[in-house]
Amino acid sequence: MPFTAKPIIGGDAFDQACKIGLEVDGELAQLADAADQAACLRRHWDAITALGWITTAIAEDSGGAGGDLSDLAALVGGAGRGGLPLPVVASCGVLPYLLADQPPLLSALAEGRFRIALIPAEAARDDEADALRLTDGRLTGAAVGIETPPDPTHALIVVGDALMLIATDAPGVAITRYQRIDGRPSADWRFTAGAGETLACGGEVTRRAAEARDVGALLTCIESVSAAGALLEQTIDYLLNRVQFGVPLATHQALRHRVAEMYVEYENLRGLVTHALRSTAAGAPDAWRDIAFAKLRLGEAGRFIAQSTIQCHGGMGMTEGLQAIRLARRIMMAEFEYGDRSFHAQRLIATAA
Amino acid sequence: MVDYDAFREEVRDFAMTRCPPEIRAVVATYRKLSRKIWYPWQKILFEHGWGAPGWPKQYGGTGWDLKQRHIFDEVMAECDCPPQYHHGLRHLGPVIIEYGSEEQKQRFLPGILNGKDWWCQGYSEPNAGSDLASLRTAARREGDDYVVEGQKTWTSHAQEADWMYTLVRTSKEAKKQQGISLLLIPLSSPGITIRPIRTIDGWHHVNEVFLDNVRVPVANRVGEEGQGWTYGKFLLERERLGGANVAPAMRNLERTRALLAEELAAPRHAQKRSLLEERLLLAEAELRGAQALGQEAIAATMEGRSLGLLPSVLKLSTSVTYQHVGEIALDAVGERLAPRFRPTDASGANAEAPGIEWVQNYMYGRVRTIYGGSSEVQKNVIAKQLFGS
Ligand SMILES: Cc1cc2nc3c(=O)[nH]c(=O)nc-3n(C[C@H](O)[C@H](O)[C@H](O)COP(=O)(O)OP(=O)(O)OC[C@H]3O[C@@H](n4cnc5c(N)ncnc54)[C@H](O)[C@@H]3O)c2cc1C
Repeated sequence: MPFTAKPIIGGDAFDQACKIGLEVDGELAQLADAADQAACLRRHWDAITALGWITTAIAEDSGGAGGDLSDLAALVGGAGRGGLPLPVVASCGVLPYLLADQPPLLSALAEGRFRIALIPAEAARDDEADALRLTDGRLTGAAVGIETPPDPTHALIVVGDALMLIATDAPGVAITRYQRIDGRPSADWRFTAGAGETLACGGEVTRRAAEARDVGALLTCIESVSAAGALLEQTIDYLLNRVQFGVPLATHQALRHRVAEMYVEYENLRGLVTHALRSTAAGAPDAWRDIAFAKLRLGEAGRFIAQSTIQCHGGMGMTEGLQAIRLARRIMMAEFEYGDRSFHAQRLIATAA
Repeated sequence: MVDYDAFREEVRDFAMTRCPPEIRAVVATYRKLSRKIWYPWQKILFEHGWGAPGWPKQYGGTGWDLKQRHIFDEVMAECDCPPQYHHGLRHLGPVIIEYGSEEQKQRFLPGILNGKDWWCQGYSEPNAGSDLASLRTAARREGDDYVVEGQKTWTSHAQEADWMYTLVRTSKEAKKQQGISLLLIPLSSPGITIRPIRTIDGWHHVNEVFLDNVRVPVANRVGEEGQGWTYGKFLLERERLGGANVAPAMRNLERTRALLAEELAAPRHAQKRSLLEERLLLAEAELRGAQALGQEAIAATMEGRSLGLLPSVLKLSTSVTYQHVGEIALDAVGERLAPRFRPTDASGANAEAPGIEWVQNYMYGRVRTIYGGSSEVQKNVIAKQLFGS
């Protein structure tokens, strides 16, 4: 029996998320037009919202399901394996964490009335002069390449030590929409004296935003490990079935060894991420280090696994046609979410000195 | 229920107070370990009742559970105590306990435990490396003796050992894994010649061992004739958790971090230092992954679950990470020290450049992906399982 990957946290939520992910990924692959794809994503977003995904980790007294980190891990793991190109980590994990003491906003998010994009303090910008700033409660500047839910209604912004909510259709807000390299919706946001609502202010916002980023980094790692497991399975399957020189490619030691190396990287990453999940769930004071190391490792191991998948598929590896290759693109994109390698390396080096 | 935290403290206290500083200094500065260093430490452990952490109590072991043994190894590494010399304790001892006769247990186990007998492993031959089963050193029966004829190679520590546990061919069978037996051979036997092999680090680790009509009593055969391969495999099974001990590698990494801070302290090295520190961080992330897998392996074993591919994964990943760390250290000191590898003045015997161990260790570190099942062999094992054939 060839290899099958085991989820870090399995269960019904994992299975459901995976099934939906595969469905959406399959449907999208049939659509050539970007507008049709956007509509498809919106339909599925509404469906998973109706299924209550966003309530997963919202406290019961705020109308949520009261789940914990492992419930989120199951959900994002499943979505990762299925290749669901929607912001599950952000909307189900990071936003509820940031908005924990804003019950009305939580319900709006959970019911799908608000589709909120998160603009973190370290968001990318094209030009240094675009840095976000608040003047008399008005927001100016730009943030680019921000992951969003389909048709975002709001942006939640960490600017300085303030947490702000601003509506997409408010005066002074302009957005340009894109599809990311992994098929997810994204947008550039430009603000010219945009009028938003300041939800909170002070050191507490900065601290919470940093914690939320770590939650995001951890969940992204879990999602990516799950995707990497699927990549391994699909690469093995491809090599077992593709015949060249009269024999299956799986008989060639060079390729078998490449796959063995992928597996070692996968296991090493899985071990580290599982450990980080456990220490974070236990509230260990050093958990942020485990997460930073995990994200650092994801950069290295994830890219090796993704690139090896492409290589082992030959020309097919260069097409969008195979799910394995779409997953590979997803893993490469994960590097840039919630702090890339250099970001986490700098944090670790700064505290080691 | 064992109080593991208290146990850890007890071991640490013992290590810090009872391991002689001059022995810890050898470990801390990576100088080569030899019987002269190992033996006094084994004696101290033995006298404390800790001579054989992995053996059952009835044979003089500690009876510790796996987690205690792991904590012991971890603390020993953290405190710069030498890892116990493994050939008797970890390799041969468990085989004798499992398959040896009562007489053999009484004869051989005490010497291993108190460190008076020194063992080495005679498995590899010039034409039998990864493909060990093709070994040809032959033993023919003459009365109550075997007469052994052939050559072993890569025999670590033969130069300072008393005994060699040796795989020999006692009959020719259709399957090469059959017809192999395990003999215990005194290295003082007539007909044995030991020749050193110079390794790339400039130290003396390994030897060629020639066996020219060496008489070995049949009583020195462990277990049954022709079943040697089974015992060899049993030994490997016991060693499968070896890779779960990432502590020495972690310690090595910490020392390398300190080396970077010291060696590259000058402002002109700032850029180089930060480049090397980042590489070290990547290695640390990898090692932490292996550490997490090591914990999984220990938990699995204690719960009686199968380890699957974990041992191969651990061997592959820690060996390569060890090498990466060694490279980083080399890159820090290489320019200054590699040109001064060996003194050549007549008076130079003791004039080794201080810190040259970093260079030697980098060189010797290359062996990690070669012995104990090479990387390629481990990948074959993994691929076979992943592809289902
Ligand atoms: C410092 C040192 C200490 C040692 N100590 C001992 C000791 O105490 N006792 C003892 O018995 N032995 C000892 N060994 C021997 C060691 O176990 C062998 O070196 C090892 O088994 C590899 O065998 P080989 O050197 O013959 O290499 P080979 O088997 O000839 O391998 C050469 C290369 O080919 C690769 N290769 C081999 N087979 C395959 C395959 N099927 N597919 C792909 N690649 C393959 C290997 O990975 C390696 O890269 C020691 C070796 C060294 C260097």
